[in-house]
Amino acid sequence: MNNHQVRYLIFPFTFSRMPAQQLLLVNQAGEFIFISSEDFNSFINGSLNIESQTFLDLKSKHFVTDTDRETAINLLATKLRTRKRFLRNFTALHMVVVTTRCNFRCDYCHASSTSPEQKDGDMSLDTAKKVVNIIFRSPSPIIKIEFQGGEPILNWNIVRKIVEYAESLNRQVQKGLEFVLCTNLTLVDESILKFLKKHQVMISTSLDGPKELHDAHRICRNGESGYDLFRQKLELTRNFIGGNRCSSLLTITKSNINRLSEVVNEYLDLGFDGIFLRAINPYGRAKSGWEKIGYSTEEFLETYKDTIDYIIQLNLKGKTFIEFYTALLLQRILTPFSTGFMDLQSPSGAGISGAIYDYDGEVYPSDEARMLARMGDRKFSMGNVNRDRFEDIFSGTMIHKIVQNSCVETLPGCASCVFQMYCGADPIRNYVETRDIVGHRPTSDFCKKNMGIIGYLFEKLRKNDDDVMDVFFSWVTKRSLEEIQK
Amino acid sequence: MNDHEKRGFVWKIEGGNLLLKLSKQFYEKSAVMNAAYKFTNRCVILIEPLEEGYVGVWFKAKDGQDSGIIRDLLDDFCNEVLDQQVRLDLEKRYGSLREVIVKHAFQPLGDVSKGK
Repeated sequence: MNNHQVRYLIFPFTFSRMPAQQLLLVNQAGEFIFISSEDFNSFINGSLNIESQTFLDLKSKHFVTDTDRETAINLLATKLRTRKRFLRNFTALHMVVVTTRCNFRCDYCHASSTSPEQKDGDMSLDTAKKVVNIIFRSPSPIIKIEFQGGEPILNWNIVRKIVEYAESLNRQVQKGLEFVLCTNLTLVDESILKFLKKHQVMISTSLDGPKELHDAHRICRNGESGYDLFRQKLELTRNFIGGNRCSSLLTITKSNINRLSEVVNEYLDLGFDGIFLRAINPYGRAKSGWEKIGYSTEEFLETYKDTIDYIIQLNLKGKTFIEFYTALLLQRILTPFSTGFMDLQSPSGAGISGAIYDYDGEVYPSDEARMLARMGDRKFSMGNVNRDRFEDIFSGTMIHKIVQNSCVETLPGCASCVFQMYCGADPIRNYVETRDIVGHRPTSDFCKKNMGIIGYLFEKLRKNDDDVMDVFFSWVTKRSLEEIQK
Repeated sequence: MNDHEKRGFVWKIEGGNLLLKLSKQFYEKSAVMNAAYKFTNRCVILIEPLEEGYVGVWFKAKDGQDSGIIRDLLDDFCNEVLDQQVRLDLEKRYGSLREVIVKHAFQPLGDVSKGK
């Protein structure tokens, strides 16, 4: 054996072939590296020159060691623990549906809202208090209560009571308590805004683009333009509570999927600092109206890539603007930190990172599970706050089943996937698609979408264009591009 | 040139279905199964034992698909099964380290819960 054929210890990793005869390798700590196919063959055969740059790169990223094994294992273990830190914040996000009523009748509504007159879908004060009591049994040091609907402001009294009651309970336990109100904004007035400001409630609203695109699906029940009212109330809201406490969510439909640069411009014009390119899921009215509003995953991926390129160019021209899903994935790929995100976690965040409380006290592991129940399938019900204890709800068979069947490390098709460390499982979506919470990866749109997006980002990383990398680092570090390029 | 060589990797053709013959000397059951799983969206696959030392993988077009599509899948399948076997080989050599790292990573959490 010559000097270049010293034995070395390879740590577990996944790999995939990339263009230009290169391979992408990812290890258990989420570190990645691109190497040539020639080097890969030498590496796995134990004949890679230990003085070569490739070997040194592999060693520095803990794919291999030829020296101190224990130190390398310690570092890998520490990095893995850091990445999975979100597991310690057991159920931080609590979504509360205070009413099913809404003054809009959006044709893509997942929640299948009811008319403003139909008050039997309102949460009662008694149920609301029991919801808060259950929420405060969560061991998480952070509690985020998110009000959903319907339009939560239609049951404003209960929103107010929940905020006040949660704050009173929190005086004893001193957790990090946050509130988010998901609202179309059209019903806010000065007294509501004063309350939101006083109690530091964040606002999450909805904007689908310029007037024509916004009004295409977000339909006001009284026939008025939702967009005009939204603009007025957005201004009022910003004047009261400040711009940085109000963010917006986009729903991509067949109407705006090919016009996302216009949508991005609208977000910029209205002072939003970023956008979340979110594909619509087939639940509620979106399912029955799929022909009119839906599109294929391939169409979504095409438009996602075009829009990311457009946003990168905007940043390079001096406009700071983030695509939040890309930023989240880049944070997972480029940093060692934990990034809990309910929709993309292993095990799935459904139930263990977040839960949703319906107006009648039923608890579901995710909003999608609640929507499924609204469509007649209550399979994912975890219990009811009016009947069950915290332990029954959050340690019941449903939660166990979800956790056991949503670890990508063991799922067929995911276990050897090179993107495993950055991805997650969506058992409820799997169930919707296949009637089985494990799902079938080769035909899964969830898998196709995330493989497409993560693959696209890795292709950008492989090409390593300086400008693109600067924009990506500015998103990950939340610093301006100017600062990054200094 | 024999029949096999004329058809590339295809060992047998029956009613539009193609048979790929893999030597067990190089490919293990798990590698073949994992590769086959990845192709279940593109065609119907049946795995069966052949004569001593070989395993057969049948490829059949799904209902409504042109059977010509199957031939195009074979090249991808051959590379996939090779990649899957490499993964298995690596797992055998270094996979136990995965358990060591996971155990080591979450050991402190175990200690904390014991202390409560």
